[in-house]
Amino acid sequence: MQDYELLQDGLALMALGMGVVFVFLTILVISVTLMSKLIGRFEPAPVVAETSKSSPQSAAPSGQNDEMMAVISAAVHRYRSTRRR
Amino acid sequence: MDKLVTLWEGSGLYNLELGQAAMILVGLLLLYLAIYKKFEPLLLVPIGFGGILANIPEAGLAISALDQAIEVARPAVLQQMAAALGATLDPLANLDAWRESLKAIAHDSAAPDQVRAAKDIAMSVGYGDGMLYSFYSVAIASGIAPLIIFMGVGAMTDFGPLLANPRTLFLGAAAQFGIFATLFGAVVLSSMGIMDFSLNQAAAIGIIGGADGPTSIYVSSVLAPELLGAIAVAAYAYMALVPLIQPPIMRLLTTQKEREIKMTQLRPVSKLEKVVFPLVLLILVALFLPDAAPLLGMFCFGNLMRECGVVERLSDTAQNALINIVTIILGLSVGSKLMAESFLSFETLGILGLGIVAFGIGTAAGVLMAKLMNLVSKMPINPLIGAAGVSAVPMAARVANKVGLESNPHNFLLMHAMGPNVAGVIGSAVAAGVMIKYLG
Repeated sequence: MQDYELLQDGLALMALGMGVVFVFLTILVISVTLMSKLIGRFEPAPVVAETSKSSPQSAAPSGQNDEMMAVISAAVHRYRSTRRR
Repeated sequence: MDKLVTLWEGSGLYNLELGQAAMILVGLLLLYLAIYKKFEPLLLVPIGFGGILANIPEAGLAISALDQAIEVARPAVLQQMAAALGATLDPLANLDAWRESLKAIAHDSAAPDQVRAAKDIAMSVGYGDGMLYSFYSVAIASGIAPLIIFMGVGAMTDFGPLLANPRTLFLGAAAQFGIFATLFGAVVLSSMGIMDFSLNQAAAIGIIGGADGPTSIYVSSVLAPELLGAIAVAAYAYMALVPLIQPPIMRLLTTQKEREIKMTQLRPVSKLEKVVFPLVLLILVALFLPDAAPLLGMFCFGNLMRECGVVERLSDTAQNALINIVTIILGLSVGSKLMAESFLSFETLGILGLGIVAFGIGTAAGVLMAKLMNLVSKMPINPLIGAAGVSAVPMAARVANKVGLESNPHNFLLMHAMGPNVAGVIGSAVAAGVMIKYLG
């Protein structure tokens, strides 16, 4: 009879364990996705850094446009200020 | 002549028991596997050597002061200890019988304070704890060594691939089925009367399927210290065998077409995400599963040191110097559990057998889960990366990559497989937390 109990305990632990692992990792998936979305919305840092790195090279030679210059200098300023941090 | 006899009776050869000789051979076998076959040499060299040290006759390196006194002390001391243990020794019996009965009393029936009193007597006449016994009590019995190693693993882990594709966490979860299926297997074997495992022991054996050395050692030190030697050896030996065990299962469960599936490029992950992730994980552990806090807490701490970028020195120490020091001590302590009386048994064979089954089931569950996800999700998922869900970082990911390259020489799966791989580490730590909560 004790064997039967052991078997039952084992089965219960198996179900409980797999359940908890799945539930926990599901919560983790949801919270990581949320976190990435939030961070992506409030601080699109890598995108800014990339465009500002490439834009001075490609835009500077043909940069007669005042508006373009303003955009570039703003980007450079922002890039420098983020770098200093 | 008398002196010669005394010298001979004190020699290792005179006192060598068959079991000890066999265990020294096991130690040499582990060293051979580590040195010539390159089986996880970083751990199996210290474990094998510790196993040999633990079985040197008369040296008593792996036993406590009390056991040592019981084995070699003079009759007067034995009588004193018997009094402290609240037992009487049969004056007619010979010395060996006294030693046997004292040992049985000290390990089974005596109360903790009686044992402590007897140990004080042993120490007062000059017996001390063996070196390996001290290592074991400091490093493993306290749980410290596996946890520090876990911190180092955290400091070495890059969560980038996982953050880029969080759904691979499900693969890491599915592969933990190996742990629980093996637990159930061990329970079935006991209930059929083939083996004799308690539920605690079955759980400690199952965790081999997590393919995670420190987690296995941590769980078995809490739930079944008597099986620790066999479980640690099985876990590390099979981790080394991952490239042999996994590919046949992976090929069996997938078609050529599935193995050729190309996965979309992973998006870049910002530094801020990497810094925040260990904190998110820590908060979730704190909220839902405090029993996994020792393992995952240290893991998150190591990872935060790596990613935050302001404590380079600490992170560097955690992933190099510290983890190496602790590995040496951990290996020797595990070796101290390779003593003949606990290792040479039918149960050890059962553990080795169940361990390999655990690996196989974990791999299969990961692959099947990946196939299921492939049916449901829009993004294509190559089922091979499911096999990386058993932790064994980074070996399992490399195996997935290799099998993928066999089918399509231009299909590099390594980065995609790293996601489920580190997810497997988290998954097995969660599984360990559940078991300790349920049984501890």
